[in-house]
Amino acid sequence: MSLVAEAFVSQIAFLQMCNLPVKVVCRANAEYMSPSGKVPFIHVGNQVVSELGPIVQFVKAKGHSLSDGLDEVQRAEMKAYMELVNNMLLTAELYLQWCDEATVGEITHARYGSPYPWPLNHILAYQKQWEVKRKMKAIGWGNKTLDQVLEDVDQCCQALSQRLGTQPYFFNKQPTELDALVFGHLYTILTTQLTSDELSEKVKNYSNLLAFCRRIEQHYFEDRGKGRLS
Amino acid sequence: MRLGGPPRKPRSGQRPEGARGCRGHVQFGRSPQSPTRRTRCPSPKPSAPSAVRCCSRHRRRDSPRRVWMAALPPCRARLRMSPRPRASEVRGPTYRPAASQAAKTRASPGASPDPQPPVARQAEAGGGAWPGKAGTHEEVLPGQRVCNMAAPMELFCWAGGWGLPSVDLDSLAVLTYTRFTGAPLKVHKISNPWQSPSGIQCPCKKGTGRGGAGDQSVMQTSMCGQARILLINSFSISGTLPALRTSNGEVISVPHKIITHLRKEKYNADYDLSARQGADTLAFMSLLEEKLLPVLIHTFWIDAKNYVEVTRKWYAEAMPFPLNFFLPGRMQRQHMERLQLLCGEHKPENEEELEKELYQEARECLTLLSQRLGSRKFFFGDAPASLDAFVFSHLVLLLQAKLPSGKLQAHLRGLNNLCVYCTHILSLYFPRDGAEVPPPQQTPAGPETEEEPYRRRNQILSVLAGLAAMVGYALLSGIVSIHRATPARTPNTQALGMAEEDEEE
Repeated sequence: MSLVAEAFVSQIAFLQMCNLPVKVVCRANAEYMSPSGKVPFIHVGNQVVSELGPIVQFVKAKGHSLSDGLDEVQRAEMKAYMELVNNMLLTAELYLQWCDEATVGEITHARYGSPYPWPLNHILAYQKQWEVKRKMKAIGWGNKTLDQVLEDVDQCCQALSQRLGTQPYFFNKQPTELDALVFGHLYTILTTQLTSDELSEKVKNYSNLLAFCRRIEQHYFEDRGKGRLS
Repeated sequence: MRLGGPPRKPRSGQRPEGARGCRGHVQFGRSPQSPTRRTRCPSPKPSAPSAVRCCSRHRRRDSPRRVWMAALPPCRARLRMSPRPRASEVRGPTYRPAASQAAKTRASPGASPDPQPPVARQAEAGGGAWPGKAGTHEEVLPGQRVCNMAAPMELFCWAGGWGLPSVDLDSLAVLTYTRFTGAPLKVHKISNPWQSPSGIQCPCKKGTGRGGAGDQSVMQTSMCGQARILLINSFSISGTLPALRTSNGEVISVPHKIITHLRKEKYNADYDLSARQGADTLAFMSLLEEKLLPVLIHTFWIDAKNYVEVTRKWYAEAMPFPLNFFLPGRMQRQHMERLQLLCGEHKPENEEELEKELYQEARECLTLLSQRLGSRKFFFGDAPASLDAFVFSHLVLLLQAKLPSGKLQAHLRGLNNLCVYCTHILSLYFPRDGAEVPPPQQTPAGPETEEEPYRRRNQILSVLAGLAAMVGYALLSGIVSIHRATPARTPNTQALGMAEEDEEE
């Protein structure tokens, strides 16, 4: 599971929701092309913007916005829920990638170090792992076990599920950035193979979230002929 | 002590255990165990006298250790009338699952409330054998109550300052939560983190602590302000505050876990929140942590002017010797490291840009909070919840501390409803600490001008004293002599004396 994949799906979903045509291009040096070092990013004319937040603002400046119809309270809630997703789901995914020994050994180390020759692949992988562990400690996740992290993910999903309720999107009829972000995360969780399926099981417990993901996928991806995202 | 607002009205409808996705009051956590038998929040007024009665009767039966607490029945009973005693728990961001739920027993929300749950709360979770069912809504007679022989919970937190009950963010949040729920804790406001029970304990001889009030641990009851000197018989290196020592002797030092523990002990401020409100709580707490907390750390610990003039000054004055020399610096380094790790991913070219970005986001966050609060008294209606405790602790620090460079402070003061919210909670739940606080709209010029005359007087006195010392030394050692005295002095003075004689002639 890759954080890049989530960001990718979120951004594509957002752009689709804004009815903006998007072409996906793969480059080996994408990280270096990006202004903040993060992939993916969008390249419009002669401007390059990365990360969902700045992309949303950029698109808004061009006159497209998904959250215009929201009042102040709703906008506050939207921002809060976006932070919740960033805070919990992103951190949980980072934890799973780097602090869960099983995943680290089988998947992450190999994938992270694959572009580099020996011994650099090991060294960089361990260095990254150490950095991530430090960060986890700083935000208070250092002592958490995998079960606690999964519980937190469950809490987060429960909160999202309760907020969504029976509505089609989080703010009733129209999708917003929050929908794009949540879709990005949940879709990636559901479709990525990990050492264990516990994470995706947690999400699958909430039927309205599953329906939500399916709805967005059908509406914005399959209908437009983009095909299934892998 | 008055408590804010009428008790939250109990909501109607069943709360199915473990159900998700249904509207209404889905329990926010799983409920594996059997439901507790306590349910209702009390209606404060009718139960007050009985609470006092039962309370005082109970106290006298307790072990001598708690005899001193028997002296406080009125205060404690009043505090027990918190609208927040809850039987079931709601999960928060990093909380453990609820230990027990009261789903089934809350089927009759309209029933008369159990008048004595606060007193009942004396029994800790372990020994909480409820003699009667919650269905019996009669007054609890003394015989029915299980006397709590276990030790009460103790909370160690940073001492107060700047017109606040505590200067530390986490301590403030936990303290506010305990006030909201009326949890009977012994609050130790200390200014020496090495006396916290967390960290590595190093026993020392009992009674060797200095008994000075304020520098060692002064045990204050948060209810009635009686103070006692507590002699610590151990100190802990790298102890942190706040720390909660539970009745089992276990020490919890992470604020979220402290609050989880209090919930498990049935002091739950989120009992009456709907599922959606519980979800909103999580979301807004994440917002606070991501957007406002880094800027608060930056404002108090990284910003040079603020750190030197406000934060370090307070900590250095409050901490005992010799900790005041190195602990504030160590705390600053820890905070700086934490901030770097929190915001490390954004690596802009220079620090100023990062600062600007951070402050921009924090201002936005404050505006969002203001919009969400609107004109309500608390975030979820008329009674406070755990979100209010966290928001209050973040905002009030920013509001009350007299910061020399307070960019965010100015923005916060512009948001009137947040200021009113903070002063309201401060005056309601911390009346003694907040008494001397000026209203937020006034610029804090008053206290400074009051200090001025003292400062000027001190300056003049010190100059005079210096002059007197110099003159006296000069006279005594003979550098200067008065010409009437016999000139049996050094050549310098002789020359001077002769010059004066010549002058006279």
